[in-house]
Amino acid sequence: MSALALAALELRARRRRVLALLAFAGVFLAAALTARLMVSRGEGGHVEMDRLFEVGGYPLVSALLLLGWILGRYPLVATLVMLAGVASHDRVEGYARLYAVRPTSPHRIYAARAALLAAAAFVISAALLPVFDLIMLGTWAGPATFVLILAYVIVYGGMVALLSVWTRGDAWIALLLALLSLVWDALLRADALAIPPGVRDVITFVLPPQAAFLELEGAFGALQPIPWDAFAYVAGYGVVLWLLAAASLGRREV
Amino acid sequence: MIHFDGVSKRFGAPGGPASGRVDALADVSLEIPPGGVWGVVGPNGAGKTTLFGLLLGFIHPTTGTVRIRGLEPRRYVRRHGAAYLPERFRLPGEWRVRTALRALARLEGLDRAAAARRVDALIERMGLTAYADREVRTLSRGLNQRLGLAQALLAERELVVLDEPTEGLDPLWRVRFRAIVAELRDAGRTVLIASHDLAEVERLASRVVLLEAGRLRSVIEMDAPPGSAGATYRLELAASVPELAEVFPDAEPIEGDAPAAYRVVVADAAELSRRLAALLEAGAVVASVQPLLEPLEARVRRELGAEGDA
Repeated sequence: MSALALAALELRARRRRVLALLAFAGVFLAAALTARLMVSRGEGGHVEMDRLFEVGGYPLVSALLLLGWILGRYPLVATLVMLAGVASHDRVEGYARLYAVRPTSPHRIYAARAALLAAAAFVISAALLPVFDLIMLGTWAGPATFVLILAYVIVYGGMVALLSVWTRGDAWIALLLALLSLVWDALLRADALAIPPGVRDVITFVLPPQAAFLELEGAFGALQPIPWDAFAYVAGYGVVLWLLAAASLGRREV
Repeated sequence: MIHFDGVSKRFGAPGGPASGRVDALADVSLEIPPGGVWGVVGPNGAGKTTLFGLLLGFIHPTTGTVRIRGLEPRRYVRRHGAAYLPERFRLPGEWRVRTALRALARLEGLDRAAAARRVDALIERMGLTAYADREVRTLSRGLNQRLGLAQALLAERELVVLDEPTEGLDPLWRVRFRAIVAELRDAGRTVLIASHDLAEVERLASRVVLLEAGRLRSVIEMDAPPGSAGATYRLELAASVPELAEVFPDAEPIEGDAPAAYRVVVADAAELSRRLAALLEAGAVVASVQPLLEPLEARVRRELGAEGDA
């Protein structure tokens, strides 16, 4: 496929981002190794929180819990970093016009690029999460790990792609929406929203599907069976975003 | 081949403040037949790049229509492709010259082997052999412009659009660039060149589109070169003779010139010789005969007024 050669060059142009993600992953692994060295394995083969508390008190336990929480969102970070500017960068720099005069559909060019960058985000995340689990827990979540990563890549990859067709602040806006959906979901669970149910449902439907993500993260964190209905909902939401991005691409001025 | 029909382009949100709106092109109607070299000139902000953007389908007209061989520009380009050099050409700095050109050649529909052959030939032609494996960011301005020309020539396209193509080229490469344009012209391509360098446009183009503040001011037909059909000459006689009107019925006195200086137009050099012989036979004394070429710059200045800076 002719567009793949160009996509491979784009991956090369983004090699600093790959290195930054690998360095970020290294921080998680270093923290996990440190925790492992500080305390011996418990009976279940995992790092015991009680032992950590004895060694470092609340700060150490809090730090490790925070680390675990961020780790669950590493696929989100990796997707945003790898796909940021997937289309908008070309428009801003003028490269889009160089591609637009070739007799190759822009959909082929950007589909190949987005697929390659999303695959890179998936592979980096899929390498980190199981290794972290193995160090900390002595086991790993199995396929639930990959399902969680795939869910993030489909939803936030599609979101960045759609935003990138229209604005240069694509990844930042996607991050903002991700944080908004976290807060929104927390408020929903606390029943702390004094707004009409109809409006509430619409906002919940439009924002990234945080409730479904929590189910997937739960399966990953607690080594539970994969909630396929939650994955189906998340995947459907993401596919709609990808389709909207494709529809927008053909109409956008470059 | 190319039709602009009442084309306008306004930038800025339709519902936004009027101060944010810019009429980049207003009511432009233009017809460009296939083949030949056309120049596009005008002061900064005249709408040259917008005209190209509309022609290649990068942007959509606010009003009016653009058609290339009857097709909407994006559809034409998607089907046939176009050769294009943007005003400020650049590629991602991390890309290497050869691999970048090969990737772009693949987008032109060439298979791997054909792309490699074409790219190697163009690298050699553009004098980039020593830089073929270097990153694009290490290239000087002139080398980068040559790379821009190379990517524009990856495939043989009917429509060739070059925006400020000689920017950054040294005199030697300007000469070579002229040879490339002559080849494209001889191959029957339709070449459009936007440039601030009027002398360069004058050398290359047979017709020149003059834009000012988004409006089409005129389409200037370039003078035919000496010896060719329709060439114009300055004929100066020692003294005016009545036979002049018989031999050169279209002779026009040149205002502000010598008392017996005339502008004459002939079909070719042979006709000029025949008429001069007839004039001499009638007893006229010819003081001088010179090709009369009005520089493009003078014509553009006249069109735009003395303030015009194309």
